[in-house]
Amino acid sequence: MKNLVPLVIQMTKLFTYVFLVQCLSMGLLFANDTGAQIKHREQVKINVKFHNIKVERAFSRIEKVSGFSFVCTDEELKRIETINFEGDNKGGYEVLQNISSQTKLEFRKVNNNSHVRVNGQPEFEAAVVEMLAEVAAFPLTGVVTDESGESLPGATVLVEGTTIGTVTDVDGKFSLEVEQGAVLVISFVGFETRKITVGSATTLSIRMIMDSRSLEEVVVVGYGEQRKVTYTGSVSSIGGDAIRTAPVTNVSNSLVGRLPGLSSVTRSGEPGNDDSIIRIRGTNTLGNNGALVVVDGIPGRSLARIDPNSVESITVLKDASAAIYGAQAANGVILVTTKRGKSGKAIIEINSNLGWNQPTVLPEMANAEQYLTMLNEIDTYRNRPLRFTDQEITNFREGTDPWLHPDTDWFGEVLRPWAPQSYHSITASGGNENINYFVMFGAKGQDGYYYNSATRYNQYDFRSNLDGKINDYIKIGFDVAGRQEVRNFPTRSAGNIFRMIMRGKPNMHAYWPDGSPGPDIEYGDNPSVITTDATGYDQTNLYNLQSTLRLNIDAPWVEGLSFNGNVGLDQTFTMQKRFETPWFLYSWDGNTLGPDGTPELVRGQRGFNDPRLTENMGADRQLLVNGMLNYNRIFHDDHAMRVMVGIESRTGYGNTLNAFRRFFVSTAVDQMFAGGNAERDNGGSAYQNARFNYFGRVNYEFQEKYLAEFVWRYDGSYIFPQGSRFGFFPGISVGWRVSEEDFWKSSMPNVDQFKIRASYGQTGNDRIDEWQYLASYGFGNIPYIFGVDQENQALRELRIPNPNVTWEVANQYNFGVELGFFNSRLTVEADVFYNYRSQILWWRNASIPVSTGLTLPRENIGEVSNRGYEFITTYNGNAGDLTYQISANAGYALNRVEFWDESPGAPQYQQTTGRPIPTNPFNPNQDLYYQSVGIFRDQEQIDATPHWPGARPGDIIFEDVNGDGVIDGNDRVRNERNNIPRFTGGLNMSAQWKGFDLSILFQGATGAVRYVSTESGEIGNYLKDFADNRWTPENSSADFPRTFNRTDEYWMNQRNTFWLNSTDYVRLKNLELGYNLPSFITSKLALQKFRIYISGFNLFTYAPDLRNFDPESDSASGQSYPLQRVINSGLTLTF
Amino acid sequence: MKSNKTIYTILLALTLWVSSCSEEYLDREPLDQYAEGAVWNDEKLIETFVNNIYFAVPHGFHALMMSSLVDESMAVWDWETSNATKSLVNPSYLGVWDEDFWTGRRYQQMNWTNGFRQIRNCNIFMEKIGEAEFADENLKNRLIGEVHFLRAFIYHNLLSIYGGVPLIKVAYGLGEDYEESRASYAEVLAFVVEEADKAAELLPLQQFGSNMGRATKGAALAIKARALLYAASDLYHNPSWAQGFSHPELISFTTGDQMSRWRAAKDAARELMDLGLYALHDNGEDPAENFQQLFISKETSEDIYVRFLLQRVVESWDIGDPGLYNGPNGYHNWGGNTPIGQLADDFEMADGSRFDWNNPVHAADPYGSRDPRFYATFLYEGAQWRQRPANLRDADPQGIIQVGQWERYNTAANRVDIVNGLDTRQGPIEDWNGTYTGYYLKKFIDPNVDHQYFRQEVPWRVMRYTEVLLNYVEACIELGEESEAKTYLNMIRARAGMPPVTETGVDLKKRYRNERRVELAYEDHRYFDVRRWMIAPSVYDDAKGVRVRYPLLTGNITSPNPTYTVINVQERAWQDRSYLLPIKLDEMNRNFSLIQNPLY
Repeated sequence: MKNLVPLVIQMTKLFTYVFLVQCLSMGLLFANDTGAQIKHREQVKINVKFHNIKVERAFSRIEKVSGFSFVCTDEELKRIETINFEGDNKGGYEVLQNISSQTKLEFRKVNNNSHVRVNGQPEFEAAVVEMLAEVAAFPLTGVVTDESGESLPGATVLVEGTTIGTVTDVDGKFSLEVEQGAVLVISFVGFETRKITVGSATTLSIRMIMDSRSLEEVVVVGYGEQRKVTYTGSVSSIGGDAIRTAPVTNVSNSLVGRLPGLSSVTRSGEPGNDDSIIRIRGTNTLGNNGALVVVDGIPGRSLARIDPNSVESITVLKDASAAIYGAQAANGVILVTTKRGKSGKAIIEINSNLGWNQPTVLPEMANAEQYLTMLNEIDTYRNRPLRFTDQEITNFREGTDPWLHPDTDWFGEVLRPWAPQSYHSITASGGNENINYFVMFGAKGQDGYYYNSATRYNQYDFRSNLDGKINDYIKIGFDVAGRQEVRNFPTRSAGNIFRMIMRGKPNMHAYWPDGSPGPDIEYGDNPSVITTDATGYDQTNLYNLQSTLRLNIDAPWVEGLSFNGNVGLDQTFTMQKRFETPWFLYSWDGNTLGPDGTPELVRGQRGFNDPRLTENMGADRQLLVNGMLNYNRIFHDDHAMRVMVGIESRTGYGNTLNAFRRFFVSTAVDQMFAGGNAERDNGGSAYQNARFNYFGRVNYEFQEKYLAEFVWRYDGSYIFPQGSRFGFFPGISVGWRVSEEDFWKSSMPNVDQFKIRASYGQTGNDRIDEWQYLASYGFGNIPYIFGVDQENQALRELRIPNPNVTWEVANQYNFGVELGFFNSRLTVEADVFYNYRSQILWWRNASIPVSTGLTLPRENIGEVSNRGYEFITTYNGNAGDLTYQISANAGYALNRVEFWDESPGAPQYQQTTGRPIPTNPFNPNQDLYYQSVGIFRDQEQIDATPHWPGARPGDIIFEDVNGDGVIDGNDRVRNERNNIPRFTGGLNMSAQWKGFDLSILFQGATGAVRYVSTESGEIGNYLKDFADNRWTPENSSADFPRTFNRTDEYWMNQRNTFWLNSTDYVRLKNLELGYNLPSFITSKLALQKFRIYISGFNLFTYAPDLRNFDPESDSASGQSYPLQRVINSGLTLTF
Repeated sequence: MKSNKTIYTILLALTLWVSSCSEEYLDREPLDQYAEGAVWNDEKLIETFVNNIYFAVPHGFHALMMSSLVDESMAVWDWETSNATKSLVNPSYLGVWDEDFWTGRRYQQMNWTNGFRQIRNCNIFMEKIGEAEFADENLKNRLIGEVHFLRAFIYHNLLSIYGGVPLIKVAYGLGEDYEESRASYAEVLAFVVEEADKAAELLPLQQFGSNMGRATKGAALAIKARALLYAASDLYHNPSWAQGFSHPELISFTTGDQMSRWRAAKDAARELMDLGLYALHDNGEDPAENFQQLFISKETSEDIYVRFLLQRVVESWDIGDPGLYNGPNGYHNWGGNTPIGQLADDFEMADGSRFDWNNPVHAADPYGSRDPRFYATFLYEGAQWRQRPANLRDADPQGIIQVGQWERYNTAANRVDIVNGLDTRQGPIEDWNGTYTGYYLKKFIDPNVDHQYFRQEVPWRVMRYTEVLLNYVEACIELGEESEAKTYLNMIRARAGMPPVTETGVDLKKRYRNERRVELAYEDHRYFDVRRWMIAPSVYDDAKGVRVRYPLLTGNITSPNPTYTVINVQERAWQDRSYLLPIKLDEMNRNFSLIQNPLY
């Protein structure tokens, strides 16, 4: 197990096998498709004529031409004389009818045989009719559409009381053998089920009416599904279609504003590094607040990188309903379900998108004249000679000599207006009653903002979800999904690149007027070069293989009992290769001219002196095995009972290996062997984990009115010491569908849905650092050198042990109502919640003196409460051909530290207890701010005001909060807002009119703050806002303080409210406009459907208090990759 | 139903399999760390545990050197060193001394947090080592000696920075009483001496081969000598600066007599000298060359305790690369801790007289005929240095330092152009790293290394023999044993190629102090010397530098000889509270039994 090679072989074998099986089974499935149906009698055209022949003869002739087989005894037939029959192309039943009338014989269908016997009974006529009725089915074709006439593929058409049925194809068409008088039941998720009695018509056009009550809508919950209408937990979900409208390569970026109770912020738009931070019901604990992501029943799979075209739905469990996931579920659970095949004709869909992205907001920087003036001001404030003369500054303003006096817009020089991105996918799905398939291939690519960008993200996906039926009782499912993520970066990080752009001095060249790259800012970093592959490359290839085998057994001998088993094996390989090479920049001394009289640039090597290569490899494996027994019964019509118990084990193992060489003689070969032998380096490590648990659920419904659910999990985790590894986590929820009561139905006919529900649950959290109960020692990263050049390992205590470490416990209370008005055209769902997290594992380092030298373990000391609400309201309307949907949602969460380790001597207004969780709980004092109360105008004002030692005019005034006449650390006040919004909301609007469709998402968030403090001064440029509004002796009533140099001034190195900005914003997050080509065009193209669309992401943002930066990003200095705005065009072809 | 049977079998197997898993299934071991038991039964691991404590003795090759907190140098980027040089450090904000500060790791390694973290490591070792089984008893004793030495070193460090600190000799567990109050200055000093004595007893005279760089008997005696010398100094006998501080025992002696302490300091230094293991480094070369080599050689005869560095071992971007940090910007280096005028000026003339800008001969040629150590310590206008980087070789093929500006007549435009030297703040390369003072550091920097790309491998000499001799000289002077003092003082001067000192009394003391300043420049002594001598109020004076200009002479010819102007480059100020560093407000808030240092 610890050896990588056998593992790889094992995986390869497994994969090959899986792939072969899939190919084979799909071959079978296609081959079967046409021969699968059994012919009905009337479809069989029988071309026979006979005159006065024995009935046995007649039967055998019919048998020959028709495939019918007759079973009878000679005895019965002996008495029958000869028979006659004439007729071409008669239907089989006509033939039989004729024979029957001549012979008084009766036919019965038993399996595929026609049993023949003499009918001597008086009921002869009736028996024949019965027998004939059975074979009187006729071919009926139909088309199922929605209200607007759009065809509905995948709708189920069933003959009532039978298992005969079919599913509509991509055009909404179906064909079925039916008998006159049969009742067709047509159903489709989201539509009211219709029943139609078959008359004589052989074609039907069935229009389905949207069922806004979604009576039969199911929600995906932990280890199963539940009917939405009777479910008692608090869940939200969206379908894959909504996700697909956002033209982004990362699914985690497309959820915000769509699911009430889920908030997300995206810190960076860097391709491949743009995961959003997702919070369910805000921040609930001091430590890990990440939700558990479960994809197709397997935890730990990526939400961000799943291909949106393979997503069926995303569901969020917000309350006690998550307790079935026990120790991992305290922060909520996000369940992703991928698409599966449905019986019917193969549907092939091709989706192709081309898009362009650019930063949402870029800061405006000072120009050369302002910058140089400000540098002179630094000298003035330090009593040094000024570095620039007025003449020099004037030269830069006038820019007469582009070689000597540039005024460089660094953002403009380094970032192109638009960077391309693309996304293509092809899916195929279909199946029959024995096997269904969904297969998908996808490819995505996204370029960085830079000119000649070395940053690029590519992703390739495939997925194959197969469902097969072995017999009536056993079903198996087999899913394989593979993904390759390719991240290409320059050898300098995005943080470093944007640091250099922000620092870029306007009086320096990005490029010389002749196009050569200008000098570096330092370390060879000229952002126009380090964004390209001129400095080498950094490529990470991540291969992820997910496989799931499911087994479903319906116990044949006990009604309602079934077994469900899953094995999920996920393997990830990561390979990073980083090749750093020297690069060249051009400098000019400002004087030397070449022979042709133009400035002579000197080409100089920068960056590294020698090429160097780093390779990192990692392998991670997760194995999950679970099994569940389900028992569903309805007793006496009123009592519905569903019970499930399960058992699950999960193990993870991973290791890393890395190697380094430098002194490559040449850059021609970028492989390890080609490096020099000196200073070679390598390393490696590993981890393992294991979890084991039992869980279950009991649902009880009385008349679908009174509802209750109990879920539990008995969870064991390797995180804790022996003896306290297991914890029990229950959740209970109850509901009452008031609208089902008679009194309600009679008095409130317009309110057709009214459910109230409440839940309480206790979940755990084991997502903490491992081995807190062990006293362990580890090597530091840096060896100590003895013996002149001998490296020696240095071992240090990692922590003192806490033998009592145990689960963090989340108590979750929820109360919700669901309402539907006017046949549920208008729905409202609202929840209030209260979460109380106790036994949070935290360090006692605020109160334990540093002089103890302790490296503290986490102890179960923290308590945090979190309360809030969320709602969603949706209206479905139509007017003529226009149908539309408007949906608004919002969520609010406010947390409070109820108890944690507090510095005993800190004044009350600095303590965290009773206030929200700090921005960074590891460093709570980061939220202590001096209160800015203006700018010192002059010396008199300073003399009259308590001030920081050394304050001078133009400095920020700090408030003497405790009134002791001295400005010191006790005057800092805790800021209660952090970088996660408290309130997020979304407004979704969509409309369809004839072939057009439009969807719009506005999204906003409030309650977060961002500190803005740029790295400016001699080291780099200032924001234009600052430069324009700064204090100078001439402009002493300015809004901003005087020119600073880096963090030298007290109001730059002491956090204060002057630089704190609210990030409240509203933005047009998403817009999509599509058009379906009319069928007379698509039919000529042999297409079922041809849709073209344009879409946009982050199109417009309104953030009144924050200029220069995007409200979701949070780097104080702006040294991070900005968020992206995308415009996209795409088309969808359906065959 | 054959398939159903198969299913039952699978189900049964599955059930058996899952139920067999329980506690054992969850038993996992960390794969990237050692359990406590494994460590204390393995002498090799115990040795690596001791290795880690060695990091408590920081070297000086950090981007922000201690010299920039005192009157030796000025950090060109400031990086908030002004807080220290203007006495603005306060309990609410320690700046470069704060463990959260973004650079300044030199200070972080010496401060309260790191000091006590390493003290804990020493205490763990002392508690565990008794039980540990060693095959090699010598190794055990040696390691015990090393940890005694390290504990002495750390407490001496804390004592010098803060005065008396909590004297913690146990390794705390969870749930104990942690409110330890500060011990008196005398108590901590006594502990330092006791630890040093224990170490000296157990440690070998010399460490060989792969153990070089570990503590020796000499190192233990040297730290003891240093601690006793500091303790004998005025600062710890004259708490009047603290203006009625109610706990003078924390910051000074309250009993005993200073002379006996000078005697103890002298005896301690003498004890080391009498080992006869060390000698001044003198390879008979030109004294300047010899002095330069002393700091770029891997081993010398005066090394008592050194910290080796390797190019391939990178602690941090701001540690261990003095050539890059301090080299001129015209070499794509960072300027760094540029010597201030006052330090350069304190280097005597070669004849032993004081350099003086008011002397027109000196002022016209300030860099001629100076103490040979001047040329080994500084880069200045016209100094020969290493080859320029490729892109500047055309502009300066010879590698001559250019901190000056040339007035050049532009015939075409009929005007005077100012051409800025490559190593100035107006130069074409990374101008923000250019010196304000007109000097760059040369001491410690290996001229054979291209510092923009490579780290040098020069060890940092934490303790060298010359320091012990100077300590001895100082104690002798204070004891009135002037001829003994001069013998050793002049030995050091002779090695430097300087004439002997002949003064007596106060003048001798002055010459000694200047000698110590010159000889030990940038070696992390001055910060403490100016405090313990209580001369800080006068030396925290505005930093000076020199402006170098090649004027245009009549006939529009640029003068080959520059003119020099002394300029102010950085404001500095002193407040008496800066004799000691404050205890951080956060720590005061955690431990109510702590008493803050005076005037904070």
